[in-house]
Amino acid sequence: MKVLASSSSSSSKLFLSLSPLSAPPTTHHPPGMDIIIPWDGSLSSTDFYLSASAFSHNWKISNPSLPPWLWLPSPKHSFLSSHKVEGYLSLENMCFIKLTEEQESNRNLTSKQESDHDVSLGEEEEEERFDYATLVQSDCHDVNHYDFHIVYSPSYRVPVLYFRAYHSDGQPLSLNEIEKDLPAHSSKLRSESKWTFITDEEHPYLNRPWFKLHPCGTSDWMKLLFHGDPSSSKNGFVTEQYLVSWFSVIGQVVGLKVPLGMLDTVVASHS
Amino acid sequence: MAAESPSSVRKVVVHLRATGDAPILKQSKFKIAGTDKFAKVIDFLRRQLHRETLFVYVNSAFSPNPDELVIDLYTNFGFDGKLVVNYACSMAWG
Repeated sequence: MKVLASSSSSSSKLFLSLSPLSAPPTTHHPPGMDIIIPWDGSLSSTDFYLSASAFSHNWKISNPSLPPWLWLPSPKHSFLSSHKVEGYLSLENMCFIKLTEEQESNRNLTSKQESDHDVSLGEEEEEERFDYATLVQSDCHDVNHYDFHIVYSPSYRVPVLYFRAYHSDGQPLSLNEIEKDLPAHSSKLRSESKWTFITDEEHPYLNRPWFKLHPCGTSDWMKLLFHGDPSSSKNGFVTEQYLVSWFSVIGQVVGLKVPLGMLDTVVASHS
Repeated sequence: MAAESPSSVRKVVVHLRATGDAPILKQSKFKIAGTDKFAKVIDFLRRQLHRETLFVYVNSAFSPNPDELVIDLYTNFGFDGKLVVNYACSMAWG
């Protein structure tokens, strides 16, 4: 059995400042009351906000060249209207540059040699060379633009990824077109794992159709991710890590990579 | 670190650890070239376990991108001379 840290205790473990955002609410449980129940892999909306703040900050430090994840507060009507920290994370205008098949196969052919050359390079450079794959933010002509939102689902009590894509002229992409942009391992992941299906749904805050990565199963694999190791000495779950760990899985489906530096923080504060 | 001469490709010891009801491998540790991608570890597990759906993760904290190099994962998350990789088969996948 694991101890689920309450917001009050976990906020003292905050490893990052929340500078871009307003101060988080300190607690939503009565003070001093730690909940000791088997964790079911979900999180509260307050914890979602805390985790989102940490994630956004961490992303900005680790990914200075990519668009930031911003917290967009949503003051008006919705299913959680009484909640003060309502909102969602948004990363917009990411550009996918698709390698042509020729480039892709060249890359596979030469990867062995490349690796050998790279051994002599510094880590930074090496990382760069292997990161060129999918996402670049540059002037995006003839590339597809992607917007990603991470929205809290009060019914599943987990974060949910919404996204949409459009051509440079603003015309939206169909799911078929989007699938062509995604890395090969994403389609593999989606065809193999039944939880990763994409549906076309109304965005809960924008009331427009967005694609949604269905959240069923999320709490199960999150539980597994954190608790699968019974011999581990860790004795708590740190709320702030939730979104980074969650995104390490979800990002793979949509071709967004979590930099290892970001995961370092998770692992460090975890053990 | 990957700062070695190109001739001697750094090998990484990967320790595969079953969680949940995943079958345990007869040989749980093996060596892999650091220049290989993590995808190779996943494919290896798939072949060994004859399962298509696997959940593979590191340090009970995250699931590595298949594009990551094994050496980078080892450098960042390895300890005691090895990279521990957890895998699970069941759960909400079916």
